[in-house]
This record gives sequence, C-alpha cells and structure tokens, in this order.
Amino acid sequence: MLDILFIGLSLGSILLLVALGLAITYGAMGVINMAHGEMVMIGAYVAVLSGIWLKASLLLAIPLAFVVTALLGLLIERVVVRRLYGRLLDTLLATWGIAILLQQAVRLEFGLSFFGIHVEGLGAGLQNVAVPSYLQGTFRLASADINAYRTFIIVVTAVLTLATWFILYRTAAGMQVRAIIRNPKMAAACGIDVKRVNAMTFAFGSGLAGVAGVMMSGFKTVFPDMGTTMVVDGFMVVVTGGVGSLFGTILSSGLLGEINALVAIGTNDILARAVVFGVVILVILVKPSGLFSFKGR
Amino acid sequence: MSIERKFQTAAYVLFIAVIFAAPVFGDEFWLNRISKYLVYGMLGVAIALTWGYAGILNLGQGLFFGLGAYMLAMSLKLSSPTSLQQGSDKPVPDFMLWNAEPGAPTQLCCINKGSFLWLPFQSQSVGLVLGIVLPVVIAGALGMLVFRKRISGVFVSIITLALVLLVRLIMVDAQPVTNGFNGLTDLGWLTIGGIEFDPYSRATYYLCAVCLSLTLIGARLIVETRAGMILQAIRDDQVRARYLGFDVSLYQVFFFVISAGIAGVAGMLYVVVAEFASPTFMDLSFSVTMVVWAAVGGRSSLLGACIGAILINMIEAEVSETEALVEAWKAIIGLIFVLVVLFMPRGLGGLAHDVLRQFIRRLKPGAASSSLQQQSEAL
Repeated sequence: MLDILFIGLSLGSILLLVALGLAITYGAMGVINMAHGEMVMIGAYVAVLSGIWLKASLLLAIPLAFVVTALLGLLIERVVVRRLYGRLLDTLLATWGIAILLQQAVRLEFGLSFFGIHVEGLGAGLQNVAVPSYLQGTFRLASADINAYRTFIIVVTAVLTLATWFILYRTAAGMQVRAIIRNPKMAAACGIDVKRVNAMTFAFGSGLAGVAGVMMSGFKTVFPDMGTTMVVDGFMVVVTGGVGSLFGTILSSGLLGEINALVAIGTNDILARAVVFGVVILVILVKPSGLFSFKGR
Repeated sequence: MSIERKFQTAAYVLFIAVIFAAPVFGDEFWLNRISKYLVYGMLGVAIALTWGYAGILNLGQGLFFGLGAYMLAMSLKLSSPTSLQQGSDKPVPDFMLWNAEPGAPTQLCCINKGSFLWLPFQSQSVGLVLGIVLPVVIAGALGMLVFRKRISGVFVSIITLALVLLVRLIMVDAQPVTNGFNGLTDLGWLTIGGIEFDPYSRATYYLCAVCLSLTLIGARLIVETRAGMILQAIRDDQVRARYLGFDVSLYQVFFFVISAGIAGVAGMLYVVVAEFASPTFMDLSFSVTMVVWAAVGGRSSLLGACIGAILINMIEAEVSETEALVEAWKAIIGLIFVLVVLFMPRGLGGLAHDVLRQFIRRLKPGAASSSLQQQSEAL
C-alpha cells in the first residue's frame, strides 16, 4: 500500500511541476498557455541534447532546461501573449498555434532538415535519457520498495515549490505578482510595472515546465508530441485546485496523482486517466471555482 | 432588406450553387474527397453557432461527432458482408470473434460481456436515429448541468475537453465491444429507401451537399429568430440579459444541443463517406482543429466558418501532395493560426464583411446610415 501511495506521490509531483507554471501564468495574468506542454517537451529535449552534445548528466540539464525554456517563454510573451491580455480564449487559441509550431520545429530539427542537415537528438524519432547510476535502483523504507529516481523527482519538486512559495510570499517581486493576481488595474495604478512583472512570471512558469520536462525524460520516452497530454493534465490540476491558489494546486496535484495511481493498480492506466477526468468534471460541476479558491478578481 | 443583407443572401446562394455544381468538375475520387470537406464544413457551422453566437468555446465537439459516427458505424458494420460470414446466421462483427475467448457463443447476445449492446444495431435505422439522438441527449444533459450552474467561459471549455477525452479513453478501453484503438472498419454501405450510398458516387456527394445546405440555411434562420437575437445578447452581456428576465441557461442549452446535433449528423455522414469510425475522432487535436477552421473562416459568420473548414482542408490536401511540405504544413497551420488570432480576430468572414461595407459605402453614400445600424447590431 505504501509503495502505491508513493508512486501516486511521484506522479503528483510531476503534475505539480507542470501545473505550478500554468497556475501562476493563468492566475496572475489570465493567460491560458496551451504551449506550456511544449515547454515540458523542450525541457526533455534539452536533457537529451545536453547528454549527446555536452556529455552532461541529468543534474546539469535541470538548470540548463530552466534557462532555455524561461528564455523561450519570455520570447513568446513578448511576441504574442503580450498583445492578447484580456482576451482569455484567444490566448488559448494563439498558444495552441505556438504549440504546433514548436512541435514541428523539433520534428523538423528547427527547419534544418530541409537543407539536409541532421541535428542528432532532434527529429520525429523517440529519444531516451540515461539516469545516473546513483539515482537508479530502489531502497527499502518501512517494508516498501522505494524507487530512488521517484524520490529524486519528489525532492526536486519540493525544492522548486518551496522556492516558488518563497518568491511569491517573501520577496518584493512576489508581492507585486500577488497584487496583480488580486487586481491588475489597481496594481498598475499603484505603480507596479504590470507588463514587466507579467513577462517575468511567464518566463518563470515556463522555466518550471522545462524542469518538469527533464524529470519526465528520466522515466518516459521523449518525442515531439509529448506536450499535449501534459498541458491537459496540468490544466485539470489548476482548475481542480482553484485558480490563483498555490495551496490548491499543490493539494489537487497530490490528489489527482494518488487517484491515478490507485485506480491504475486496481484496473489499468487507461481507466485511471478516465477516472481522473471524471473526477475533474465532477469537481467543476460541484464547485466551479475549484476546491481551494479564494475570493479574488 | 438592406444592401448588406442582399449581399449575404447572395453569398449563401452562390455557395450552395457552387457545391451543387461541383460534381461536374472532377472524377469520383475527387468527389469523395470533396464530400469529406463538406462534412468538415458542417462542423465549422456547428462551432460558429456555439462559439460565435453563444460565446461557448466547446473544445470537445469531437465527442458529438464521434458519437454520431460510432452509432451509424455500428449499424453499417453489421450490414457489411464480412459480418455475415462469421459462422452465425445473424451478422456479427469480425473483430468481436477474433478477440473472444475460445468456445464463446457466436450470438451477439453473449460473445462477451458487452456484446449485447450491438443487438439493436442490426437495424440500420437504429444507428441513424441514435447517431443524432445520442449527441443531442448528452449535449442536453451536459448543458443543463453546466449552464444551470452558470459555469461559463473557460470552465465550459475545460469540462467539454475533459469529457471528450474521458469518453475516448473508455471507448479505447472497451476493446472487446468497440475494437479499441483500431476503430470500426470494413463497413457496409448506407441504404435509404432502396438507394445505396456508394462512398464514391454522386448520390453520396449530393447527400453531403444537401445536408450541408440545410444546415447552413437552418442555422442562418435560427440565429435570426428572436431566440438567436437573445442568444447574442447573452453572449455580449450575460448578466444584463439575466436582469432583463431571460432564462439565460435555457437559450444556451438550446443552441448547445443544436450544435451537437449538427456534429452528430456530420459524424454519420463522415462514416458514410470515409467508411470507418475511429477513436481519433475524439482526440483533443481534432476538436481543436475544428475550432481553428472556424477561427480562420470567421467565428461569428456561419458561412465563413464553413468555408474556412473547406478551404483549409483543400489547401492541406494540395500541400500534402508536395512531399517537402507534408511536415511543414502543420507548422504553417500553426503560424496561420497565431497570425489570425493576433491580426484578424474575426477571421476571413470578418474581413469579407469589412470589405463589403467599404464597397457599399462607396457605391451609395446614402446607405451609410443603414450600415451603421448594422454595425451596432453586430457589436
């Protein structure tokens, strides 16, 4: 039983890493970023490429992926999202277009394949990333076999969640973000540079997704389309938890992760996902504002 | 009737005339392909109806399309020759016996736990009726739940999105009954009143053309009724409409149901034309793709969304025959989509509208007042 709960916890932490970024961009900026899953995908490809080209281990890929995806997020915000504030459903559509572009960019090796140039590690094929030996294997804890890599995922998630919490609740920049979440117009009137803070928030959220991608690459195959399911799952978590609530996002990712693991053990993976979707639909129907929403905008 | 209305009516008449004249220009393979595009055109209308007129972005329209498709496909599967040759005097889907345990009975009632569900589909009319009734009933029930609770905007999108993925997973998981990922292939032809609808025949093409024309005209008429006007008022300001005493959710449910019905019929037609039904109909990407068609064509223009769907698919078919562009085409679609949302939020239909208005203003300065009135209605 303990090992099932543990698997649920590790599923939940991947979900949380994906959802954290979505939660802060959606909550703070009113932007639905459908390209968020592609940030996960690109994070995973950073792990693949840094392994091939730099011979770097998974650990080094984490900061690398954060920087790459954060910069990419910044670019997307500057070029597209910035023009769409206040048009919620349009942000959903435009970022879906960006998601397709990014998928195809990876599949076409950034377009270089048209010139007959092959970038090793990119393309339509499947990729794998080697997990360092000290993260492989299991250890025993209270009569349950605990997988070392899953523990690693949970630890990384915990550290990043704490960092996010610290930035949001203990720094001046976080104060500005929270002010914008509550009331963007009032925040602007108080002299907060909403545009700048929004761009930073978007970049930070994207960076978190990139790290989630590195984590994913350790136990799943990496391929150009892997982002779509991630963004759907991430959204389910955000909506279930309550938009704009960090606490809600954490709890609902844990909840959905555990439900997934428990049903999967009892039946199969497909039904487990179906049950998760069912639970999310029920939650929205019963509490449209999510389980842990606060009264905000 | 204002000049603008006349132009709009002319556009509808012209479009319908073109699709009815189209068979003159191509062979049967071309006809089959165009029939598919007409089906996609119906989906464009369905999206425009909910998204453009009701302000409900349904990211799970594929659910209704898929249900319509599966209902008819089950009937057509049982009327195919292969289903008759399965060692039973009544037709049985071939995959069901392949997957059955050794020694299982070959009667539909009890090959496996769910196989009795197929019994009613021995009659083709059951499939035809359920193909529209099931989407309508599900949309009605979902609409009552969602709109009565005043759930709106992005939350409706998330619910519909989750629902289509949920149903898709269940369909895939129920492999013994639905043939899982492989879907239903090897189908018979639809037969109505002695006419067999060979997918490569003119009869099938005209079936699609008639259905699309009726959908367009019907949708156009319905948005111009009082109910349609109230619906647009609800889209623009839900709270105000509620204070004016309208039962907001009732109108939303009504149009949600109509859109689902259109999608159900489109699903059935697709099965007739393409001769298969597959869980990919309920993929998220297909549902979003429909929205892309409507956005490019113009979400608030029924005809625009329909033409958008047909046009994008025609170009896609052309482009994907050029080998170098097969993969690049998807990227181009992504780019077009971003550009349309950024710079042309009302799509091609909106653009046509603006051009037309300019044209009228130049043609006849006196018409400016009536077009202003139109503008305020449109806003």
